[in-house]
Order: sequence, then C-alpha cells, then structure tokens
Amino acid sequence: MKKTNRIAYVLVATIMLMASVSVFAEELRIDGSTTVGPIGDAFAEAFKNNYKGLDITVKKTGSGDGAAALIDGRCDVAMMSRFMKDKEFKAAVEKGIMPVAHVVAMDGVCVVVHPSNPVKALTAKQIRDIYTGKITNWKQLGGADMDVVIISRDTSSGTFETFHKLVMKKEEMCSATEYVSSNPQAHARVKTTTGAIGYVGIGFLDSAVRALEIDSIIPTKQSIASGRYPIARPLFLFTNGYPKPGTMVFKFCTFYLTETGQEIIEAKGFIPVTNY
Amino acid sequence: MKFSFRYIQDKIFTGFATGAAGLLVVVLLLVLTPMVYRGTKAVVFQGTIEYRKMQLDVFGRGDIEVIATEKAKAQQVRDKLYAMIEGFKKGLDVDVLSGRAKNIYRNYGKEIRDKELASEEFRRRRELSRKIRNELMTAFSLSDKEQIKAHLDNVLGYKDNTDFEGTSAKDFFALAEEFSEIVENIDLKRRKEYANSLGEIEGAVLKLLGPLPGDAVPALVQDRYGCTRMDMAKVQIDRVLYSQRWVSQANNDSLVKVKISRVQQFAGTEMARLFDFVENNADAMLMPKSTFYWQYFIDDSTAGHYFGGVGHEIIGTLLLTIVAMLFAFPLGVISAAYLVECASDGPVTRIVRMCINSLAGVPSVVFGLFGLAFFVLYLLPLMGALSKGCVLTASLTLGVLTLPVMIRASEEAIRAVPKTYKEASLGLGATGLRTFVKVTLPAAMPGILTGVILSISRVAGETAPVLFTGAVALGPLPKSLFDPARTLSYGSYDIAVGDRLAMQVPHNQYGMVVTLVLLIIVLNTAAIFLRAKIFKKLKGL
Repeated sequence: MKKTNRIAYVLVATIMLMASVSVFAEELRIDGSTTVGPIGDAFAEAFKNNYKGLDITVKKTGSGDGAAALIDGRCDVAMMSRFMKDKEFKAAVEKGIMPVAHVVAMDGVCVVVHPSNPVKALTAKQIRDIYTGKITNWKQLGGADMDVVIISRDTSSGTFETFHKLVMKKEEMCSATEYVSSNPQAHARVKTTTGAIGYVGIGFLDSAVRALEIDSIIPTKQSIASGRYPIARPLFLFTNGYPKPGTMVFKFCTFYLTETGQEIIEAKGFIPVTNY
Repeated sequence: MKFSFRYIQDKIFTGFATGAAGLLVVVLLLVLTPMVYRGTKAVVFQGTIEYRKMQLDVFGRGDIEVIATEKAKAQQVRDKLYAMIEGFKKGLDVDVLSGRAKNIYRNYGKEIRDKELASEEFRRRRELSRKIRNELMTAFSLSDKEQIKAHLDNVLGYKDNTDFEGTSAKDFFALAEEFSEIVENIDLKRRKEYANSLGEIEGAVLKLLGPLPGDAVPALVQDRYGCTRMDMAKVQIDRVLYSQRWVSQANNDSLVKVKISRVQQFAGTEMARLFDFVENNADAMLMPKSTFYWQYFIDDSTAGHYFGGVGHEIIGTLLLTIVAMLFAFPLGVISAAYLVECASDGPVTRIVRMCINSLAGVPSVVFGLFGLAFFVLYLLPLMGALSKGCVLTASLTLGVLTLPVMIRASEEAIRAVPKTYKEASLGLGATGLRTFVKVTLPAAMPGILTGVILSISRVAGETAPVLFTGAVALGPLPKSLFDPARTLSYGSYDIAVGDRLAMQVPHNQYGMVVTLVLLIIVLNTAAIFLRAKIFKKLKGL
C-alpha cells in the first residue's frame, strides 16, 4: 500500500509542478473549418520551422465554431470556408470584435461521378434537376440505364452552402439525397457506387472519380482561378481587426502572398488567389 | 422425468451462454483483426532509401555516411532512368526542338555580324538562315511523315552551301538529321498520346523517387521525398507500367476499366526499354529494407500526420486520462460514500441517484458543450486565465463525463462490503470516518478499481468532449495544464475528415486507432494488476 501511495504522491506533485510552470512563449491559435484546415496545418508547419519558440496550435472544428471561437476570443485566427453570417457579425461587434476577412485561396467544388459513367458533361440546370429529384435515371441524361444515387455533404458544411447557393439556387434537395459528413466520405461513396453523383473540393479529385464538365467548362486550376468555372468559392481567414504588421498573426495572414505560401496552397490542392 | 428435464434445461442454457460468448469473440476478431493488421503496417514495413533520408532529415536518425553511400548508389541507377525519359522527351517536345533551332539561328546571326560583311551580303545570309530555321520549325510541328520529309529535305538541300562553311549553321543540318531519325522511329501521329502518357509517367516517377537532386526543395516536408514505403512504391510503379483508361464498349452502356501496358504503347521506340528497366531495378532505385519503426510511438508528426508517429498524441491522451481520473476518482468515491453511508434512503437520495443514472446516459457531445460553456468560457476567465481550451478544462470535462460511472461502481462496491467488517471496527471503538477509510474503503477497492477501468477506457477514447475543450490537431507538447494537447481520439477524427491525406497514408490512420486501442489495453492491464494485488492483500495472502 505504501508504494502505491508514494506513486500517487509523485504523480500529484508532477502535475502540480506542470500546472505551476508556465513558460510565456509567443502563441498563435488557429481554429475553424475542416476544409481550410489543411492550409492551416501546412502554414503552421512552415512557421514552426521559420520561427523557433512560437507555439502554434491548429484545431479543426468547422467554420461555425471558428467564428464562435473568434468571437469568444478563443482563437487568434479563424479559418472559414464561407463568409461570416449577419448574426455572427452582430455577435462579434457586440463583443467589441471587428472581424476582418483575408482570402487565402480559392476552392472549386467539383461534381463527381463514378469513372464508369459515360456522362461527361452536364449543365447546372441538369444537376439541379438531379438533386431536386426530377431526373432519377442516368438514361435521361444519355447514360446507362441506372438509378442516380444522390450524395450530398451535410447541411452544416460550407461546401454544402456553396453548392446550395451556386447550383441549387437555394432549392431544396429531394428526400432521396444521402448526406455524408466529410469530403473524404463523399469521395469514398462515389468511388464505390456506380450510379452515384456527389460533389467534393477540387483537391479530392483523383483517378477513382471523374469530375463533370459543368456548362461545358472543365474544373481546372485555370478555369477556377479565372472565374469561368461556376462553382468556386474563396476560403477565408478571419482576424479581430486588421493585424498589426510585424505580429505573428499578420505574418500568418499574409503568408499566402509569399511564393512559399502559394506553393503550399497548390500542394494542398487549392488555387492561389495570386498569379505568380 | 423431472430430473432429465432440468438436465436438458441446464445444457441448453450452457449452450446459449457459450454461443453468446463465442459470437462476441468472433465479432471482436472481425472488427479488430483487419484494423490491427493495417495498423501494424505503420510500424512494420519495407522502408525505402527515401524513408531513411526522411528519418535523417526530419528526426536526425541514422548514419549520415551510410545513407549518403546508399543515396549515391541509388542515384546512379535513377540517373539512367531520368536519362531515358529525357532522351525521349527531347525528340518529342516541339518547344524544345524549336528552341534549339532558334538558338542556332541566333548564334549564326552573331557570327556573321562579327565577320563585318557587306550589308547586302549580311542580309542575304541572314534571310537564308531564317528560312532554314522556319522550315525546321514547320517540320517539327507537323505529324505527317511525308510532309516532314519534304521540309527536312529542303533544309538539307543547303547543306553544301559554301556560305555555311565553318559556321554554327552546320548545327541546323545536324538537327535536321537527328529529327529525321526520330521521325523514322516514332510515329508522330501519336505524338499527343505519347506526350500524355509521358506526363503520367513523369508524375508517377516524381512520386516514386521524389524531386530531382538539383530541383528546388518543396515547401512541404511531405513533397520532399519519394515513396518511403514499398507498398506505396508498388502503386506508383504500377502507374509507370500501366495506364488506366475507362473505355466504352459496344454492348454495354457503362464504361469499362482497362489496363493498358505502356510497353505496347511505346513499342518500337527508345522508351520501350524503360519499363523493363523500372521493373527490374525497382529495388536498386529504392533499396527496400525491412523496417521496424518502434519510434512511431514516441515521434512527433509532420503537418497532417503524413510522416512521423503519434508520440505527442500518446502523451496528450495519457495526460488527459490521468488528470481526469485524479479528478473523478476521489469525487466519485466520496459521493458514493455519502450515498451509502450518510444519506438516509429518502426521496431526495432517490432523486439524486436517478440523476446520476441518467447523467450516465447523456451523449458525450453534450458534456463537451457543457465543458466549453462552463469551464472554458466561464470558469477560466473567472480565475483570471485566458479563455482557451486546455488540458485542465478537457480533463475536468472528461472527469464530469465519467463521474456517474465512478459513483455507481463505487457505490456498489462499498455496499458489497460485509456489514460484519464495519461492525467489528466500530465495536473496537473506531470512529465512523476511521472505519470507512481503514476498513470499508480497502475492502471495496477492487470493486472501485473496476469502475476506474471502465472509466479509463471511456475517457481515453472520447472525442466529442475534448473537441471543444482542449484538444488540437496540431500543436506543441503542453508545457502546463493551461496548454492544449493533442489526443489520439481527436487525431483519428482529424485524419478521417480533414484532409485527403487519409487517402494517401491509410497506415497512419489505422496506426493511430490501433495505438489508442493498445493504450487502453495497457492502462486497463495496469489497473487490473493493481486490483489483483489489492485483492491478494485483502485475503491475507
């Protein structure tokens, strides 16, 4: 029994010690969207190498929580895959926080089908008809006699919001729609289902799914950067006021303007807003 | 009659019980086996030279000289591969060929300017060389063999022109001859097909072997190396050897996947040798070695868990679990002691007990939101600390989450202590507190530890409560209880939803999950040993 007691004492002492020792290193807290998360992760990796002694933490809990965290003062930079809502702005201003948006990259939302599907191009209207349930068989679109399996992201995601606004024109999706909660899941669902249609960020395109031409425009880095591809959205970093030059927050929010920053954004499958 | 019926009943019961237990084992094996199998690949695999390079650069591990020699040896073989691709590309790429023709034209222009010819003569020669250059460039851009031949013949017709004697314009004719040879060997009508295929091959080779030695170092660590593992390398080698196409078939509406061997695609060209070379020299280029990466359990990882291990996550999970148990254990035991020893069995006690029981059924995300609202947003600012999720808030949230389990288990354990123990102690003159601490509690300890075991498993594996209260996807080791930590549970969630990395490094995803399972098993085993020891002592052995 004595030995156990001693172990317990040591444990408590260690933890007390840990609680009392607080090293004041510079800190940068980043929170928010799972879509922008990879950029945050990669920027953090670059910063960790460039600025020793900087404590940088990245958390990915969704755009909504990113906004909430910025308003609560739980983070320095909020990553968001959509713009702040009126309500969030109001809440922020009431708390004395002025959200400022920095667009770090563009993301294209690609409509994808199984590679065995002969349909290669659709119009935005046809896609809307599929998702509203007016078209239920690929035959109606010149494909094989096969039921359409509709895959959508969950309604709380920024990707859904983009699709809902730009393709659906805010029309309701039909009840047959199957909702999945992440980009990898949507990709996996389309990859394994021959009649499936879904949408993912351009970074998730690979040989296992095929991206459709929409209104005869192929989603490529060029067509998205030039604004020709219809379903594209900016990705944001939000800060409280414009960060003071020289601070870590400033360096982080302007990192996308550097060549390394742009290279990272491209490596992560997004499209830089700057042409270099 | 009655007796035999009882016998059968017993047998049936035993049969069912055994069946149920067997089913449980089968289900457990079905769930765990593939997971453990894939998770093991994070630790035991065929590591390539790229892996050893990465380990040296990122973690400072390995012998610099040995790796340098290996690198040089592999590079020799790789250089042959690069030379083959480069050689073929040179003959194929219109831009490169045109560039060469332009260069010759420019050089020749300089030469004749230096010769100080009469302006008339200078202009004539320059005109002529421009004409030759344009002929060449037209030839390069065409794909019909006969037409190209005609243009090349035009060029070669000037070969014996005395103007060009001893000048760099001779290079025009060398280039024309080189190209006419290429035309003989390569079907230029398939130039586009070749170029596409070559693009795919180059992409796969880049992924397989990493960036070329002279190229700029990519910004992200994950792009700086080729395939670090043979299982990943095999996928890329397959992409080099075969191209995949989805083609339509006459009797079928759907497209069908076909694998085309690139050897056939490039048959008759210089490139055809490349595929055999890759297949036969894969080991020489990558130098696979059986690797046991035990440091997986102590290493930090690069962004998105691409390389490295789960060391930080293990420390974070342990820290959260221990602090949560330090909080939940005494509180749970004291609450249970109150419920059993002090409280009378009135309606209030019954309501309290009911509340505890229903608390055990509340979804964990509710606890997470409670922890965010109460500990992070209310309590921390009240204490004068910065309002941010940290180890302390996450542990407290987990402690609250597991409190009902602790209370229930402790209560049952304390209740199960024979009354005679207590009576004997009280009879000897001990006070109620002394009796509880010295007699009841030790006797109840094994039962309470069962509660601890159940709690540990739950606390270590929960994601939702720590999501908002103190777990981060990326960050340094916590320096104090007021820093956030990385945990295995949130890490697994992060890999699964965030990035496309999970598609690229599935072994790390499974590795993390299996580590979590292992960690819980280790913690539980420790608690079980402790329980057995106490049990032994109680029995007076």
